Amino acid sequence: MHDIVNLESGGLPGVMIASSEFVDAASAQAAALGADPARVFVAHPIQDRTDDEMRVLADGALDEILRRLLSTS
Amino acid sequence: MSATSDGRVLLDPTGELSAPTRERAPRPASLDGRTVGLLDISKPRGNVFLDRLEAQLTDRGIAVRRFTKPTFSKPAPVDLRQEIGTQCDLVIEALAD
Amino acid sequence: MTTAPLPDGLVAIVKRDCPTCRLVAPVLAELASGDDPVTVYSQDDPTFPDGVKVVDDTTLDVSFALDLKTVPTLLRVDGGEIVGRTEGWLRSDWETFTGRAPLGAGLPEYRPGCGSRTLDPDIADARAAAAGAVRLVARRIDLGAHEDEVEAAFERGWSDGLPVVPPTPERVARMLTGTTRAPDDVVAVVPPDLVECTVEKVAINAVMAGCKPEYLPVVLTTVEAACTDEFNIHGLLATTYFSGPMVIVNGPVARAIGMNSGINALGQGNRANATIGRALQLVVRNVGGGRPGEIDRATLGNPGKYTFCFAEDEAGSPWEALHVERGLPPGSSAVTLFAGDGVRGVVDQLSRTPDSLARSLAACIRAVPHPKMALGFDAILVVSPEHGRVFRDGGWSKARVRDELLALLQLDGDEVVRGAGGITEGLPEGLAGMTVPKLRDDGLLIVHAGGGAGLFSAIIGGWINGPGGSQPVTREVRT
Repeated sequence: MHDIVNLESGGLPGVMIASSEFVDAASAQAAALGADPARVFVAHPIQDRTDDEMRVLADGALDEILRRLLSTS
Repeated sequence: MSATSDGRVLLDPTGELSAPTRERAPRPASLDGRTVGLLDISKPRGNVFLDRLEAQLTDRGIAVRRFTKPTFSKPAPVDLRQEIGTQCDLVIEALAD
Repeated sequence: MTTAPLPDGLVAIVKRDCPTCRLVAPVLAELASGDDPVTVYSQDDPTFPDGVKVVDDTTLDVSFALDLKTVPTLLRVDGGEIVGRTEGWLRSDWETFTGRAPLGAGLPEYRPGCGSRTLDPDIADARAAAAGAVRLVARRIDLGAHEDEVEAAFERGWSDGLPVVPPTPERVARMLTGTTRAPDDVVAVVPPDLVECTVEKVAINAVMAGCKPEYLPVVLTTVEAACTDEFNIHGLLATTYFSGPMVIVNGPVARAIGMNSGINALGQGNRANATIGRALQLVVRNVGGGRPGEIDRATLGNPGKYTFCFAEDEAGSPWEALHVERGLPPGSSAVTLFAGDGVRGVVDQLSRTPDSLARSLAACIRAVPHPKMALGFDAILVVSPEHGRVFRDGGWSKARVRDELLALLQLDGDEVVRGAGGITEGLPEGLAGMTVPKLRDDGLLIVHAGGGAGLFSAIIGGWINGPGGSQPVTREVRT
């Protein structure tokens, strides 16, 4: 999260992707940094997924990722 | 006082018209003509995820650059951040697990 | 802060670190064996004195509530009210007061008390700061555990590019001791966001700028003056032009707070000069919301937009002070705000007569902001001591200097109209053949400042004058 926060402060819109296990930890980290970076969560587990399963996760997250990177109307 | 703050307080010097946390960078209206950086934090399987995002974005005509952190356990080195900052307009970082 | 009512009977407040209190400790024990209940509050050690009921007042809450000056203080309390009070040790006094005699056998007749711990300067300051901090209403920002407090200010956009002093509640409370005004007093409505700026908000930005509390009255007046319609800080901020607000301080306050009017007066190195100007810029940025790249679209700007503030050298001046000239009483203190575009140096090391020097200065003023422009811009002339001496030796008053300069700055229309000299820029062609004054009659301010060595003066150009532009504004400084 430090990287995204740091890049955002330099003017680069960013989003971090994390597994759903990370929801609370990400909130805590954000609070500790005094920031609120965009985050998209994908379903845990990650480690033992097949390549095909990972691609399905990526496809499923894409719309949300794009939404967080672009300005709302 | 929570576990994430240690009691240090500053008083807001602004007109308090917006939220006190660090604001996010302004977002563009579209990705047309913009380069998206994909930053792999080097946790397992993240590269497969990012490969797929790269393919999807490229199919949509969006320029993509790939970057990899040397290790997931530390923030990215300054050089890498500067590279991303100068070469890209937006960044996606994955995959924290 | 409210404290519990005092217990009835005899109440003493003591501290171990007081020879007189130690002297009367056995007397207090004597009194405790009588009919009157005796309660002793100890300011520094709850185990002192022996032989009596001691209440711990190391927080000094009770002592402050009693406005204690001396220890030991002996009170008689009846029905929760204090009906008698004596300080120090005087045997006859204590015997009458307590109705017990004899008291303190073997003790001297009289011993004066010591200062109460509440008068200790560090303690008094810390308490005032803590009490003040409770009254502050600005939004509190909890720093994340991993946040560096200096970086935090940068990250939130509060900085002008240089580090700011982190505005903790304690620092802001201490800053507020510099004024008698209430923290929630509204100082000004600050453009562009048109936010009501309170004394507290100015204090927060003054802390960030690095001001001392004693500078705050000057900062408050500066903010007031800047936010007037006449000064038009909004227009000044939004322009592509170079200018930013410049502050000239006059009167006794300048010396009192240690401002610089001498060597390097327009430069760095003096805390008051540096931080007062900076505090104004931070208020404009943070409270008003006026930032470069957003509302502030200056093409080039100028370094004075970090800070531009100095004091006039009145003691060494051949003339009356700027603020007196502008209508304030001698002996008052004031700030004058001007939309300054930077510093143009003037060298004249050979003129020995006021006439020659005036021509030199006029020749240089002619170029502000362009030799072929007139009337639209004001200017300030900062005359250094060595140049001031030329005028003084020649017997020229400030009014004479101004009149001569304005006369020398009557321009030949043919030279300054558009196209003249092969330069497209210039005045409307209709002015050809006419005489055009370079400056309006009120458009030249003259002040005296600088080190004693150096045959130089400075010209500070303004921004557009007239409605829609900015007028110089002078305001009296009050505490």
